[in-house]
Amino acid sequence: MIHKFIGVAATLALVGLAAAVGAQDKAGDVKDPQVGRAFRVPYRLTDTNHFLVRVRIDGKGPFNFLVDSGAPALYVATETAAKIGLKAPEKGFWTPVDSLEIEGGARLEKVKARVEDPFQLVGMNALGLPGASIDGILGFTILARFKLEIDLTRDRMTWTRLDFIPPDPPVPTDEDRKNPPAEMQLMNALGPVAKGLAFLIGKQPEEQLAPRGFLGLEWAASAADPRAVEIRRVLPDSPAARAGVAAGDLLIRVDGRPVDGLPAARDAVAGLRRDQAVELVVKRGGEEKALRATAGEGL
Amino acid sequence: MNDERTEDRRPPLRPLLALTTAALAGATIWLGPAPAEEPGPGAGEPARARFSMLPSNHMVLRAMLNGKGPYRLIFDLGAPITLLSNKAAEGSGAVDAKAPRSFLFSMRGEAEVRELRVGNLKAEKVPVVVFDHPALGVLSDVLGEPIDGIIGFTFFARYRTTIDYQKDEMTFAPVDFEVRDLMKDLPDRIAGPKVARSRVLAPGGLWGLRLGEAEPDGRGVRVAAVAPGSPAALAGLAAGDVLTAIDGRWTTSAHDVYAAAASVEPGREAPVAAVRDGKEIALNVRPADGA
Repeated sequence: MIHKFIGVAATLALVGLAAAVGAQDKAGDVKDPQVGRAFRVPYRLTDTNHFLVRVRIDGKGPFNFLVDSGAPALYVATETAAKIGLKAPEKGFWTPVDSLEIEGGARLEKVKARVEDPFQLVGMNALGLPGASIDGILGFTILARFKLEIDLTRDRMTWTRLDFIPPDPPVPTDEDRKNPPAEMQLMNALGPVAKGLAFLIGKQPEEQLAPRGFLGLEWAASAADPRAVEIRRVLPDSPAARAGVAAGDLLIRVDGRPVDGLPAARDAVAGLRRDQAVELVVKRGGEEKALRATAGEGL
Repeated sequence: MNDERTEDRRPPLRPLLALTTAALAGATIWLGPAPAEEPGPGAGEPARARFSMLPSNHMVLRAMLNGKGPYRLIFDLGAPITLLSNKAAEGSGAVDAKAPRSFLFSMRGEAEVRELRVGNLKAEKVPVVVFDHPALGVLSDVLGEPIDGIIGFTFFARYRTTIDYQKDEMTFAPVDFEVRDLMKDLPDRIAGPKVARSRVLAPGGLWGLRLGEAEPDGRGVRVAAVAPGSPAALAGLAAGDVLTAIDGRWTTSAHDVYAAAASVEPGREAPVAAVRDGKEIALNVRPADGA
């Protein structure tokens, strides 16, 4: 009787209690080795201030998933599910997932996914976010297994695995009913915040990414003058070697930009593209030499 | 047919309502004093706030707005804005009760909350958008208690925010991040040219690698060549290795490799995972300062 009551309460609201009950039920189970570990999770912040992380599901991917505490569960878009080979069961609400890996090292086994296209996804994808389609949503049942740390001044979040398995949201009692229960529909209803913006912003083009061009130079601050950048090594057969740069040269200018320290040197080449011609002015034996290089491929 | 479905769904909501009210009453005691009564965080300590969970698995914070309240606000990592209902915005004085409303969701537009307190955190000048979000109306009806708004990105981006679902606790430590105002950017975005932006992915240092093709099915990127004597060569990388992760970031495309290398500063040793002859290997590469 008491158990029954706790079961109902836990499902509905009392998450803390649910954890306690869960722990008792699983006293014999081996603790997940990832419990207590902190993972540094790379993320992308979209133009619409949403967080995307990359996941692999059943070894397939990577896919871009939205981090959304306003979503009740793990959602996998139907197209994504098809790519993974996930098949929604004939009966029941959830689709079992063997493994969910989150970029940065976190891994969950045997989790439940809902294969569906909630309109957050439809809306967000209508935005045409740069370089990314959104393939699913990490919601409460996944996020609550971690202590989440979010700091926009860092390029990664920190997710620390808790010894805690949150309860699944309530599902329809009728096994073959396909519609989500009212509680889940309520959560999904927050989606129009994104979709409303989508309709205002319209589709954005994808960002074009170009790998930086390669020179094959190693440099360091000169021992004689810390503001001077001295070439330490030129990699054999590299664009810099072909241009005639030699170890011991001081790098004075890159395409007319003065180099007065290591940060300036890094900045001067940061936008260099593959096959781009670049003028390197070096000082060798007190004499300035202008050398022409063509950036190659590599890093 | 439709009627039948509505009929089906009604029963779970009634016990839900009753139990929720009970649970929330419990939560009120458990959450401790109202935010206004709590002392501020100690020096160097992050501010703390307890949250409670709704039956819909939303986190709810009790907030004092301009000294009024408490108001019940959903904390949502997926919400790009911070939103207040008309009632909460008027009650807290964030908007003038006489301010005009648009016909759509009674939209009042942007406003500012002078002071927002949750737990022992005091935030000043919080930009909010005032409108009656239909979902909040539905939630409030089901819960029998008003949900007054959503705390989103424009608030939590100011802090190193932690969320602990096990303890039902959040912490907030201020960080120096300039929050991009989505609503202010909107007109530019609508009017702006829909031209693809272009960006160069610059590695932090010199590795001495040339990449080959990406392997199919996201399995990694093959190394085409390693420059003799380069940091990559010194670390033991060889042509033919398939890079799978650099510094904890997956490398399934050349862009991934450059993006991962971009966050490895010269001189810092970065873990590299690769596959050689079908076996996983782990190396450490210390890129040199250079290009």
